Amino acid sequence: MKDLAVIETILRNRYHFFAEIRDGIGLKEKMRALLVSSLIFFAIYGAVMGSTASAWQAISSAVKLPLLFLATLIICSPTLYFFNVLFGSNQSLTQNVTLMLTAITVTAVLLLSFAPIVVFFLLTTAGYQFFKLLNVVIFAVCGIIGVIFLSQGMKIVSAGGKEGAGARRWVMWLWVFVYAFVGSQMAWTLRPFIGAPSMKFELFRQLGGNFYTNIVASIGEILGFFVVR
Amino acid sequence: MTEQTPGKKPSTTDQILDLLLDALAERERARQSTPSSVAAPGDQAPRPSPVEEKPVPPPRPEPPPAEQRRAAAPPVGMLRSAPLVPKPEPRPGEEGWQPPDKLPSINMGKLLGRLAILVAVLVVAINIPVKSHGVSLARILPDAASLIIRDGLVLKGSGPEFYMLQDNKLRWISSLDAFEHLGLTWKDVHVVDDEFLTQFEKGHAIHLILKCQSSPHIYALENGKKRWIKDIERFTAEGYVWDDVQFVNCGYLRGLPDGLPIPEDAGPPPQP
Repeated sequence: MKDLAVIETILRNRYHFFAEIRDGIGLKEKMRALLVSSLIFFAIYGAVMGSTASAWQAISSAVKLPLLFLATLIICSPTLYFFNVLFGSNQSLTQNVTLMLTAITVTAVLLLSFAPIVVFFLLTTAGYQFFKLLNVVIFAVCGIIGVIFLSQGMKIVSAGGKEGAGARRWVMWLWVFVYAFVGSQMAWTLRPFIGAPSMKFELFRQLGGNFYTNIVASIGEILGFFVVR
Repeated sequence: MTEQTPGKKPSTTDQILDLLLDALAERERARQSTPSSVAAPGDQAPRPSPVEEKPVPPPRPEPPPAEQRRAAAPPVGMLRSAPLVPKPEPRPGEEGWQPPDKLPSINMGKLLGRLAILVAVLVVAINIPVKSHGVSLARILPDAASLIIRDGLVLKGSGPEFYMLQDNKLRWISSLDAFEHLGLTWKDVHVVDDEFLTQFEKGHAIHLILKCQSSPHIYALENGKKRWIKDIERFTAEGYVWDDVQFVNCGYLRGLPDGLPIPEDAGPPPQP
């Protein structure tokens, strides 16, 4: 519960939180609290997603969803750090990772806030494709807000290094694009998260296709153009 | 000049107003010292000539001497620094920016903890099986690709067999003819995991029962072969009803290859 208190600081006193990251105050404690909070929230949301297929799928998704975000963070964080350093940033890697964890935690909190809505749709609607697209939209909304937090944080934390500030802003937005791209491919690799009906439980599904064509196919099926098999 | 409280430094606005008032007073004095070009009513002024003379503009007031102006003017620095347009607040991350005052705590951590526990409990609750087939609340309302457990549901596992669910029992549809006779199409078939099929008890197979007008014999069509049903007792024992019987051409019936009779020890099957 103590670790969850960090969420209030992020949501209500974010500027103080970012200023503390800039000044390097309690970075380790912050990272731990952010990690614990985001893991809990992602796990719960993952369990909600997986509940559509089976209890095993719920457990599997509860493990895989936090893994998805953390793995993506680990893969993408060096890129942001070194590019920032290249363009005159005076941040440390710990500060960078703390900022990224902040963005991920914001995404996780928002996902948790959407969880009751997802449960409602899970219990009342018909359509696997609809449920899949609903989750894609929710993830997109929460992810965008998380990225906006990251952008605000970057602005404050890197306020000291005036040199190359404009370039760093560009780097951050390009990194966001890369992060989304890596994240979506990671999600495709770790799928299923929801579990297709009438298919038996599987921890990982065979690779093939990609995230984007699948989303287009799902939209096509919802609109009645074709059936996804 | 406006009166200033002794010992109190006048503000920039006051100084600007003072300057303005001084300028107005000088202008007024200059106007009074100049003779008016327009005669007052009742004055014995000469009539204007038919050719109108251009009105002479009143002379501009003499500007005050440079020393006087310098004395009246506020210090240069003061005027320049006067915030005529308010300077925008520094934005987050800009120089001079200070984070706003910290908002008091509203125990959001506790609230989030409760929400997380609530959703977790909800997830567990909707995954608890509530039906005899082990279907939980989360999967009780199926989606387009899921299944509603109901009579008449057509299922197919990994093998080639089709089954129809009736009274919670799986009934094998023995032939494509029977399948078509039931009015089924491929759209009605739900391909499921073999494990899903094992949870149901097996019922009587669904055959297509054929008879032709000129023959008393009845045959069950199974895998493209006709199986002679020995007697009416066996017919009812197999769970057939008269409505299952399809009347066909005797020639067609004769053309079908013979399968094992029902029961299998019934002897050689007669031809229709």
